[in-house]
Parts: sequence; C-alpha cells; structure tokens
Amino acid sequence: MGFLVIFNWSWLLLSVLLGFAMGWIAVVHRGRGVSKRTSQWLALLAVAVVAAALAHLIPGRPGYWLDLAMLIFAMYILGCAAGSWLRERVLARVTPTS
Amino acid sequence: MHGLFRWSSKWWPGVIPLAIVWALAAWISTSPMEADLAARSNAALKDTLLDQTSIEVSGRDVTFTANAFSEDGRRSAVAVLQSVAGVRLVNDESRLVPEAKPFVWSAERDVARVTLSGNSPLPATKGKLLDAARATLAGVEVVDQMKLSRGAPPRFDTAALLLVEQIGKLKDGKVILSDNSVTLSGMARDLGGREAIAAALKNLPDGFSVAANDIKAPPYVFQANKDPVTVTLTMSGYVPDNNVHATIAAAAARKFFGEKIVDNVKASMGAPSRFLNAVVPALGALSRLSTGTLVVTDREVKISGDALYEAAVPQIRASLAKDSPEGWQITTELSVKPAAAPVDPGVCQQLFLELLAKGKIRFEPGRASIDPDSAGLLDRLIEIAMRCPTANIDIAGHTDADGEDAFNQALSEKRAQAVTDYLVKAGLPAGRFTALGYGSSQPVASNDTDEGKAQNRRIEFLVR
Repeated sequence: MGFLVIFNWSWLLLSVLLGFAMGWIAVVHRGRGVSKRTSQWLALLAVAVVAAALAHLIPGRPGYWLDLAMLIFAMYILGCAAGSWLRERVLARVTPTS
Repeated sequence: MHGLFRWSSKWWPGVIPLAIVWALAAWISTSPMEADLAARSNAALKDTLLDQTSIEVSGRDVTFTANAFSEDGRRSAVAVLQSVAGVRLVNDESRLVPEAKPFVWSAERDVARVTLSGNSPLPATKGKLLDAARATLAGVEVVDQMKLSRGAPPRFDTAALLLVEQIGKLKDGKVILSDNSVTLSGMARDLGGREAIAAALKNLPDGFSVAANDIKAPPYVFQANKDPVTVTLTMSGYVPDNNVHATIAAAAARKFFGEKIVDNVKASMGAPSRFLNAVVPALGALSRLSTGTLVVTDREVKISGDALYEAAVPQIRASLAKDSPEGWQITTELSVKPAAAPVDPGVCQQLFLELLAKGKIRFEPGRASIDPDSAGLLDRLIEIAMRCPTANIDIAGHTDADGEDAFNQALSEKRAQAVTDYLVKAGLPAGRFTALGYGSSQPVASNDTDEGKAQNRRIEFLVR
C-alpha cells in the first residue's frame, strides 16, 4: 500500500483536494442527497469491492486499477470528510456573531 | 459525527470527476509502474542462481519464469520477489533444471575447433570450462554445446577443468566424463603427449577414475627433403636425443657437400630402436638422388625421387637393403632423372673442377676404399662424365707427404683405380679412363699443416 501511495501521490493529492472541495460545498448544498437505501447499497458495494481487492481476486492490470480506485476513493472520502467538517466549524463560528 | 453522515449523502457529485481522475491515473501510471516493478524484481534476483530467468509484470503481479538448480533456490527466488515493494502477487512458473542420469560431459577436438558438450551443473562452471578451453587452446575456435543439468558428481569442476587441459595436448580426439568415470580417445599432438596425459590423469579428484584411455601417440617421423632448385636439404621431425641429432647433422654435412642444410629436427622420446642405424644409410641414399624425399616413420624407411643415372637405382636399393637394420621395412620409389644435354670436353673439365672444388672424394684413412659418404659426389661426377661421351679422362690420385713415398705412390694409384672402377660399375666404358697415381709429388698446399695435407689428398679429373 505504501508503494501505491508513493507512486501515485499526485493523483491521490488531487483526489483529496477534490473531496475537500466537495465536502466544503456539501455542507451548504441544498440539493437532494442519495437516499438512505441507496447509501446502504453503495456501502455494501464498497465492502464487496474492498473484499475483492484484499482477497486479490482480480489479477493483473484490472487488479491494480481496482486497488488504485479504492485508494483514490478513500482519499476522496477523507477529503470530503475534512472539507465538510471544516466548513461546519467555520459556519459554527460565524453564526453566533451574526 | 451525525453531520458527517448527513453531508455524506451530498458528496456523490464529486464521484464523476473522481472517476475521470482515476481513469487518467490508471492510463498514465500503469506502464511506468510495471517497468519500475520489473526493474526492481530483476535487480532483486541478480544474486540468485537461476538460468533463463524471465520477469513479466502485469499491474502489480509478477510472473516469474526460470530454471532453478535446487528446490531451495527456487523457493528463495520466489520469496525474494514477494519481498519486492509494490509486488502484489508472484505467479511462480519456475521449474528445476532437468536432472541428468548419468551426468555426461564431453570435450571433442578436431583440427579447427573444440566442442564442449553434454551437461554442466551451473552457468558459472560452464563459463569456467569455456574460459579454460580458450586459454588452453589459444587460436582454436571453442564451441559451446553444453546444457545445464542437475546431478553432477561432487568435484565435477575440478575434474572437468583438468580434462580441458588434456584436450590441449591432443591433435584430435574426445574426452568423456560420465558420472565419475573418464574415457579418452584420439591422438596426442606431440610425442610424449600420451604419457603427459596419463600422468595428469593421476591428479583427478578423489572418486573419479579412468575407464579407458585410448590416446594414441603420433607416429615417430623423421623427414628429409632434397631440393635441387634451392640446393637445400631440409630435415624435420623427431630424433631420440641431442647426441643422435648431432650425429645425423654431421652425417648430413658429409654426405650433402653442396647443399645448404636446414635442420628443423626436434629431440623427442619414443623413437623406434636402431633409429640412427636406419636414418644414416637412408640419408646416404638420398644424397645420391637429384631430387628426393626421405620419410622414416616408426620402423619404415620410404625414399622416393630421381637417381642421376640408370645404374644408380639398383645400387641405392641394394645398399639400403644391406645397411638398414633388421626388422625395418624399406620402400623405394625411384626413377631416373632425364639425361642432361651433352657438352664439349672443355665444358666437362670445367664442370669437374667446379664440382671437386665443392666436395672431395673421401677414402678410409690409409686405404683405397671409398668412403660411402662420397657416393653422392661420385654420382654427380658420373653424371658429368656421361655428358661428354667422347672425352677420355685421366683420374689422378694424390696423397700428402706423410709416410713413405713408395706407400703414398701405391696408395694414390689404388685410390685413382678405385674411383675408375666405381665409374665403370656405373656403366661408363673402361677405355675412357686412365687411373694415375702421383703420390705426394704434386702438392697444391703446404704439407706442414693438417689443412694443407687435407688439400693435397685428392682425386683430380683431367679431360684429355
């Protein structure tokens, strides 16, 4: 995993930034989010994909692309979480004074 | 934390550009990453003993193909690859090199090349054997047909290297090492080579033995070639030792009075018995030929060439048969040189003088018996006499001043008569020759010195 991170650090950084931006926006976004049911399906899909990756089920290049996808997605989620949390903190500080 | 879950339902729009990032990353990074993994995998295997190693990388999975020399070596190579950072899976397609039973290695030499074939336990051993063959046989092409196999006996390297050295001593032949037993065949390059190989084989490592040593010694050849164009006698081949060499060189100098002698003879053991007794009369026979070759091989004397006149052929054959040692085979292939054009008596006289200035007819000391070493010179004198058939010739004998005058007078007459008889025996009419003896009365040099006396002891041919 360390090798993948070092080798693809620029793409991962891009994913984190993208996630951060998305997380920052999501806090004030007024559109509809995915439903709870869809979220559950997506979570199940994510678990299945992670399991497939960890079990090395997919060989060769597709296996690498799957690992890369997982990593990029994980970085995106981290970025989103950081972005949303930070935006929320910023909003919380602004609201009492206004 | 609750907020995170709430907000996470709105994170999905970013997944679309994320998918593009992923696709780009996969597109751009896959090949460089595979190349990086392949390079580091190959580097990691650098010190591992394998043959025909091939590394193929697909994604982060490495397919490893190689021939290993032991099960441990194979396993350790796979472990090394698994420890390379970034490698996810190792597809092990390696196998053990085949085991040879019996483990046969051979080296074959012919005129132009040496071929090493059969089995070799390790690439390093193979390299060592090839290097040793190149060093031993500088200038000879070394062909590698060895394949790698398991099952070599212990100390194979030492034994095979010793055998490569022996191949250098062969003219042609083959050395086979089958498990622990050595078989040799062929012919040694030099005399003594067979013995040298037999001695070297005693140093084979423990456990190895010689099953058969059929190395033959090269024939013991002495050769002499008389070339009338370059006026050269060339001797080559072998003689038993330096004493025999000196004796043969001295005999050649006496018998070949006008020729330049080129001596390429080497001393070597292995000569047949009574070698010298066979070679000296054979050189005498060669000296009587205009052009000819003498080959002494083992116990056979073969002489071929052109005699100077008809009657010389049976004489040469007879004297060879008489003087050669018993048990030796004599082969002669003699023809007669075409007769030279007749010349005037004056020219004949000139030719006699020129020839007798180069060489002298020798006799046994104090006697009238012609020294056999003078046969070549006498044949040349006969050839000249045949070119002026109308001329009558006085054959004059002279002695030095040692001894009594009466004895010297008688000796000079007898010697002149001996020469006349020799000419008549060769087929010349007796009436053409008059034998005269002058004792010591007509010296051509001082009788006070040995050199002067030698000059005074002479036979002269005077055309009337």
